[in-house]
Amino acid sequence: MTLVAGVTAPVQTKRPNPGPGSKIAKVLTTTDHKTIGLLYLVTAFAFFVLSGLMAEIMRAELARPGLQLVSNEQYNQLFTMHGTIMMFLFAPPAAYGLANFILPLQIGAPDMSFPRLNAFSYWLYLFGGLTVVAGFLTPDGAAAFGWFAYAPLNDVIHSPSLGSDLWIIGLLSAGLGTILGAVNFITTIITLRAPGMTMFRMPIFTWNMLVTSILVLMAFPVVTGAFFGLLMDRHLGGHIFDAGTGGAILWQHLFWFFGHPEVYIVALPFFGVITEIIPVFSRKPLFGYKGLVFATIAIGALSMTVWAHHMFVTGAVLLPFFSFMSFLIAVPTGVKFFNWIGTMWRGQISFETPMLFAIGFLITFLLGGLTGVLLASPPIDFHVSDTYFVVAHFHYVLFGTVVFAFFGGIYYWFPKLTGRMMNDRLGKVHFWMVFVGFHLTFLIQHWLGAEGMPRRYGDYYAADGFTTLNTISSIGAFALGVSTLPFIYNVIVSYRRGEKAVGDDPWGFGNSLEWATSCPPPRHNFVSLPRIRSERPAFDLHYPQAAGKVDFHATPELR
Amino acid sequence: MNRTVTTVRTGLNGPGHTRRYPSDTPGRPERLPTTTFPARPQSLRRRPGARLAALSAGAVLLTAGCDAREAYENTFSLGFPDPVTEQGDRIYDLWLGSVAAAGIVGFFVLGLILFAVVRYRKRSDELPRQVRYNLPIEVLYTILPMVIVAVLFYYTAVTQNFVNEESKNPDMTVAVVGFQWNWQFNYQDGDQDPRNNVVETGSPRQPATLYLPTDRTIRFEETSNDVIHSFFVPKFLFKRDVIPGRVNSFEVKIHTPGVFVGRCAELCGEKHDRMNFQVVALPPAQFDQKMAELKAASPGNSPPSGAITQATPENTVEATGGSE
Repeated sequence: MTLVAGVTAPVQTKRPNPGPGSKIAKVLTTTDHKTIGLLYLVTAFAFFVLSGLMAEIMRAELARPGLQLVSNEQYNQLFTMHGTIMMFLFAPPAAYGLANFILPLQIGAPDMSFPRLNAFSYWLYLFGGLTVVAGFLTPDGAAAFGWFAYAPLNDVIHSPSLGSDLWIIGLLSAGLGTILGAVNFITTIITLRAPGMTMFRMPIFTWNMLVTSILVLMAFPVVTGAFFGLLMDRHLGGHIFDAGTGGAILWQHLFWFFGHPEVYIVALPFFGVITEIIPVFSRKPLFGYKGLVFATIAIGALSMTVWAHHMFVTGAVLLPFFSFMSFLIAVPTGVKFFNWIGTMWRGQISFETPMLFAIGFLITFLLGGLTGVLLASPPIDFHVSDTYFVVAHFHYVLFGTVVFAFFGGIYYWFPKLTGRMMNDRLGKVHFWMVFVGFHLTFLIQHWLGAEGMPRRYGDYYAADGFTTLNTISSIGAFALGVSTLPFIYNVIVSYRRGEKAVGDDPWGFGNSLEWATSCPPPRHNFVSLPRIRSERPAFDLHYPQAAGKVDFHATPELR
Repeated sequence: MNRTVTTVRTGLNGPGHTRRYPSDTPGRPERLPTTTFPARPQSLRRRPGARLAALSAGAVLLTAGCDAREAYENTFSLGFPDPVTEQGDRIYDLWLGSVAAAGIVGFFVLGLILFAVVRYRKRSDELPRQVRYNLPIEVLYTILPMVIVAVLFYYTAVTQNFVNEESKNPDMTVAVVGFQWNWQFNYQDGDQDPRNNVVETGSPRQPATLYLPTDRTIRFEETSNDVIHSFFVPKFLFKRDVIPGRVNSFEVKIHTPGVFVGRCAELCGEKHDRMNFQVVALPPAQFDQKMAELKAASPGNSPPSGAITQATPENTVEATGGSE
């Protein structure tokens, strides 16, 4: 017909090159679990660097007696925000970042169960985090009542600053993001597993995220309620945490009922990361898979019953019960150690950067776990609680698990995240700087605390005899701080020009399902799924000879 | 891409045995079947990092045990001060035993880790035995830690019962009030009129001094009027939180006279690190004399603020810091 006869212009088949605005819009509106995972990781790492800088200022202040850099009030703000950022805005989001990216891949899912809720969780976290940090921009500075904000120091009389309110409101928002994320992980694990992916074939990282998410659902709402109560006391004339009616102890119970599971909320995912890394670089399956799953569940259950060991010196808790439970939690944790060692035993261990970080984790967390057993004993707490011994202990536990495993996980999954390998030589430099810097900083703090130096002191006297150990610790802290530079450089350079990842499984002996799809995976993760007949489907796929003919059982399996 | 040959070893024939498969290569019965696995990229090959890892960990151990030459006490005290109270002695013993136990367990596990790292580092492309379970060992490493923590818990329970025990009639009682930012010590003299009591009140610039007798049971009854503090005397190896709206109590019996530093161990606001105080432990006769002096010096039925005027010359910041 003549209507179309005149139309001869060629149809434009190529989309115009998307500019930066289009890319930003894409990130802002994304519901893709992989993009959200990357957003979580980048944001969490930015908070980690910020919080690390605060730690450097504190260590610089403590290097010599006297106040040189900051005032007492500023020092209080620094350690409050350092703890808050690390415990709320770095550790859980870093775990959520890895889990967002990896967990759906590991169970053969195309995305998370609720992609838009997933994005919402991230934005709640980001805005909550920025709200907390914004306290530094207010005239009175940020919150200064410690990361656990004990009543009545947290009330409006003793902490009138606006930064305190921003702290509470920001953590409410970030905490809600964490709760919604946990809902999403649990639903995804329950409903979106691929055919053949039974619960007892799930990778340990996925198992640990399941237990973590359940802990989040039990712990975070409690602290959320406490924060609302605190806001009510501060601004609406509430009397929930009045000291005259036991409010001081009530706050401690509510806070630590969240605060202790929180330790495992941030630790368990990173135990999972280590458990993913060690078998791959030992070229063996995980030793004692089911025992490890039960140990993880036991840790999750016990972690809900030990909160009052943070309150041994209040004289207000039943010491034997909480002491025994705290001792008991060492047992499943010890089981994990033997699982990791058993996996390496008679393996063919190679020491690429992820494995180095895994071994650094083992050594560091071992010491943190042992001092943890000491701290489970109330009489010992009577001397060392609230001293640098505790500071050393929880840095060994938290830096050992969260940071070592976070770095290890980034090196390990970087090819899956970006399609390129990170530079291994630079990675090793990074590892040794972190390892030496960390132990130099924190090992001697055990002695400092045992000698009686309390935490949260901006200053001490030369006559106290703490100077030498503090100076060494500060030197270590600066070395540790510098170690982040090669990592950042490595990430940027490797992201742009790194060696291309070879095949689906660049490490060669990957077990879980994420190593059975391309690097990086397509939009919905899998073009085709391999048959899942054991807990290491990718290994079965790549080594059919071994999978088909090898009997994996040295002894009858637990059924 | 170059390819390497890998042998599959199985778990069926015990350690060190490879499974025999029906094969057309009878000349190599122990190396069957040979399967080819893709070689790893060059950049991923093992570099000589294992030895360095072992050496570094060894250095850490040396640091941890640097005073191992000394006696058992010096080895395991990790800087714990020598206690001056009977209660502190028990805590000290528990600490030494617990650190020794933790040390033994720690070195054992560390040894296992380092042994595995050194002994089982990659030497060939042979795929190791794919062992997944070993039930007897799993049971062992579950039961054994339970036994260890049960023993630790027993000694913990015994010690904490002793430390927390309070006598019916202590020889003297001191009411401790923590405030922002120092301490008030109120010596209860037993009569019903609190106005006669000797009261010491400190300030951040002029910390309070707490005079105590040796060889007498002393009860502390603590409370606070503002925020939570914590009464901590490192030489007692003891601290107890001072909580508003609550009276905490504990007892000590000092066996060694001396001058010790006391601190606040719970974050209580801006000048938390200025809540030092000084503990002066005197033999009973001297203590009674001192109390009489203080009582005489205080203007009759003086209000608590009068106590500040009694600050002795050593009651300065420097002297408090140097009293350790």
